[in-house]
Amino acid sequence: MGDGIRRKITVVLTHVFLMAGAMITLLPFVWMILTSLKDAGEIVQMPPTFFPSVWHFDNYLKAFAAAPFGQYFINTLFVTIVGTILTVFITILTAFGFSRLRFPGRDVIFSILLATLMIPGEMLIITNFVTVSKLGWVDTREALIFPWIANVFYIYLLRQFFMQMPDALYYAAKVDACSDWRYLWKIMVPNNRHAISTIAILNAIGCWNAFLWPLIVTNSESKRVLSIGLVRFQTEAGTHFELLMAASAILVVPMIILYLLLRNQIISGVTRSGIKG
Amino acid sequence: MKLKSILVSILGAGLFLALAVVAPVSAEPVTVEFWHAMSGGLQDALVALTDEFNATNGQDITVELVNQGGYGDLSKKLMASVAADTLPDMAQVYNNWITGYLDSVVALDDLVATNFDNYDDILESYRNEGAEYGPIYTIGFNKSIQIFFYNKTQFAELGLEVPTTWEELEAAGKVALEATGKPIVGYDDLFGLFQQYVQQNGSGFVVDGKIEFNSPEGLEALTFILNLYKNGYARLAGEDVYLSGPFGNGDVLAYVGSSAGAAYIQPKDFEYGAAPLPKGPVKGSVPQAGTNLALFAQDAAKQTAAWEYIKFLTSADATVEWAIATGYLPVRTSGFESATYQAFMEENEVAQAAYAQVGDQYFEPVFNNSYDIRSLISTEIETAILEEKTPEDAMNTIVEKVQALLDN
Amino acid sequence: MINKNSWKGYFYILPALIVVSVFTIYPLLRAFLMSFYTKYHFASDTVLAYGLDNYTYVFRDDVFQKALRNTSLFVLFVVPISVGLSLILAVLMNSKIRFRSFYQTVYFLPYVTSIVAVGIVWSWIFHSRYGLINYVLSLFGIPAVQWLNSPKTALITLIIFSIWKSLAFNIIIFLAGLQNINPQYYDAARVDGTPKWRVFTRITIPLLSPMIAYAFVMELINSFKVYTEVFALFGGKPGPANSAITLVYYIYNKFYGSWNFGVASAAAVILFVIILFFTLIQLQISKRNVHF
Repeated sequence: MGDGIRRKITVVLTHVFLMAGAMITLLPFVWMILTSLKDAGEIVQMPPTFFPSVWHFDNYLKAFAAAPFGQYFINTLFVTIVGTILTVFITILTAFGFSRLRFPGRDVIFSILLATLMIPGEMLIITNFVTVSKLGWVDTREALIFPWIANVFYIYLLRQFFMQMPDALYYAAKVDACSDWRYLWKIMVPNNRHAISTIAILNAIGCWNAFLWPLIVTNSESKRVLSIGLVRFQTEAGTHFELLMAASAILVVPMIILYLLLRNQIISGVTRSGIKG
Repeated sequence: MKLKSILVSILGAGLFLALAVVAPVSAEPVTVEFWHAMSGGLQDALVALTDEFNATNGQDITVELVNQGGYGDLSKKLMASVAADTLPDMAQVYNNWITGYLDSVVALDDLVATNFDNYDDILESYRNEGAEYGPIYTIGFNKSIQIFFYNKTQFAELGLEVPTTWEELEAAGKVALEATGKPIVGYDDLFGLFQQYVQQNGSGFVVDGKIEFNSPEGLEALTFILNLYKNGYARLAGEDVYLSGPFGNGDVLAYVGSSAGAAYIQPKDFEYGAAPLPKGPVKGSVPQAGTNLALFAQDAAKQTAAWEYIKFLTSADATVEWAIATGYLPVRTSGFESATYQAFMEENEVAQAAYAQVGDQYFEPVFNNSYDIRSLISTEIETAILEEKTPEDAMNTIVEKVQALLDN
Repeated sequence: MINKNSWKGYFYILPALIVVSVFTIYPLLRAFLMSFYTKYHFASDTVLAYGLDNYTYVFRDDVFQKALRNTSLFVLFVVPISVGLSLILAVLMNSKIRFRSFYQTVYFLPYVTSIVAVGIVWSWIFHSRYGLINYVLSLFGIPAVQWLNSPKTALITLIIFSIWKSLAFNIIIFLAGLQNINPQYYDAARVDGTPKWRVFTRITIPLLSPMIAYAFVMELINSFKVYTEVFALFGGKPGPANSAITLVYYIYNKFYGSWNFGVASAAAVILFVIILFFTLIQLQISKRNVHF
């Protein structure tokens, strides 16, 4: 009896806590959508209005007309898909190398990789641009994809997951004369697919939103990506927030869809297959 | 045999004729790559002008516009391109960007002397800016000036005139504060605020790498500024970032900001006006802003072609068309005086206010560590306002820190 | 498990090693060298003099000192609070409660929402006159706080905002980790009637420890590199009167603003050494406490 009430109170408190957080978290997102439907005057008004006094759905048409978003969309999609596939592949290989295999200098090399995260990235842009131009990659998709396919953040993350797999499993596989390569793809990868999906979505979002590097290495409209289109609404004298938010909202939709798709893949069904030790 | 040779010679003559007709008009097709940072309506206006040039230059020159994001992005990209030796043929630049790679910029003196329409017609302060490193490295393009934007409706209700001097500004501030509880003015650019008031009071700022603003006149100017804030006649942009927001919202009665920002003011239930900045006891002094055109092309044909385009963009007709479409200012006196622009100005207070003070405008010269000095002074002025420092204290700190940067 | 085919490991890490060497380690080494250039001609890439001047300049610069102090305080608060809070939220969201897929989706959204939108909304939430927080405070009779206007509060505001901003990433990581735990552990605990708190400390924490260690290290590195948050919250400025300037803000300003590559690189090297020091400590701690 007392136990039941206490449980109910815990559940209610949990919901209150999560709901309060969810509201603060949701607010910027909702705000972005609502702002995209206001007119310019209403946006700067203080105190702000929550709902638009007049709903300007035409902002979306205006935003679309401002740049060749169709072409940008195809480019972004291509770069994101190819980039993410390559990144996930390299992350899996490298994480496996650093977690399951032994070779001289392994820990030193891993530490060096970790250390590369500790320098602010924008400092590297000029040198990288020179490298890319020496490779003849200026204004090509190669420049948008290849410099980013080895991401230490993800390698480290997946290594943590791979390390958790019980050693016994590895030796059992060895006894069965299962090669490292087969072991990786038949056992490690399927058993860590939620981690790998998580990495895929984080990387896809990173590719999708990248701005400065794509701008620096491309010149022609046929190579440019969506995030560059957003600059169209910002000038040094002022910003068309309603159009910027409309374009940002459009930009976000594919990522949310991707998340919902992968989330179901991550959560449902796999819970029972955990074989962690 | 005979027939054949006759045919050949006829064909040959025909070909020769055809070539003779075509040759002087089109030498070789040339493309010019122009990197810019104009977005939105500004970009539309630039595209329209460029299309016009491409269609009418009669020399097979094609200018390709490449948008490189905002000014900050363009500056980074140019820097990276210097390192990789992949500069475009020309670009929009601020003069302080090119200090690191002046060798890569084409000096324009010969072109200006031999192949330019009346260079003295370009506004004097733009010419001075273009030649600040000695040779002419840049030509003014999208130029703006600071303007006093004010709430016409509320000024009328309070019976206030637009202040034209420091005293009038202070007096109007008192009236406005007592009647509405609101500050009368704000400044988007605190460095510009300090520099313009120092100069308006007859003092030099930083001349030939030497501090001159620590004069009695400079201190007087700083005292005047700090008192405006202390008395509540002026406010900082603070959390609102730009004053056009609180101004449109009616929280401040006027503000001093770039003429280029006029299109972004959103007045809530009032009419706004534009006027020249109040003048100081000694003279008027108004900061100009906006980028210039720089030529990088090393290839002779491209250089000539790009120069044709620069001539076109800065011609009286084009600069007026550009100014009317964007709110920037014509770069030529004849542009301001043209019938088209005069007609436009009748209807446009911002343009009137700009024109009224172009004689007082100055450019911010580049000197050793001037970027750092600019942000340092902004910060120190803001600190002095927030912490209500005495003008003497504030001045001593500024002088000491600026001197250290100048010496470095 | 020393493998006799020890060379085989290189085959797995080689692709990543090549890419990282070319696009990260090489420019990093250049930045390191650049920190010793005292006279440098950028356009022709010629160095006229080497020395330690950039380091002495940085150490004497009071803007750098302020940036260092701000960043240290920032890290001190953001790292533990952010990791702790996201751990709690992730565990709650992963428990068998209703609307959990709703919560999981909502808490993920900040990760994809435009940073400009996020910055605008939060500067409204913190607005001294029209903001949500001061409105709520006024209901309790608390006078308006100058969250974004006062040099005294700007850093606190930045910390609150950044904690919020970092939650999404950590929650994603923890949820991935929680999904990896075999539910049989929990089933067993339920049969035994183990109290919830003990389940949390004895099962969840140890089994999640690799992800917790990961989150700590990443949060530490990212917090030392805080920059975008400053930019978004204060509209491109480092807070009122420089009061929220951070190390990376300082570095980028020196690099792309003043074009002082030597000073920027020297500051970046110092930042690197600081982060490295704390990361090594953290890795030592996690070596002892992480259960693989």
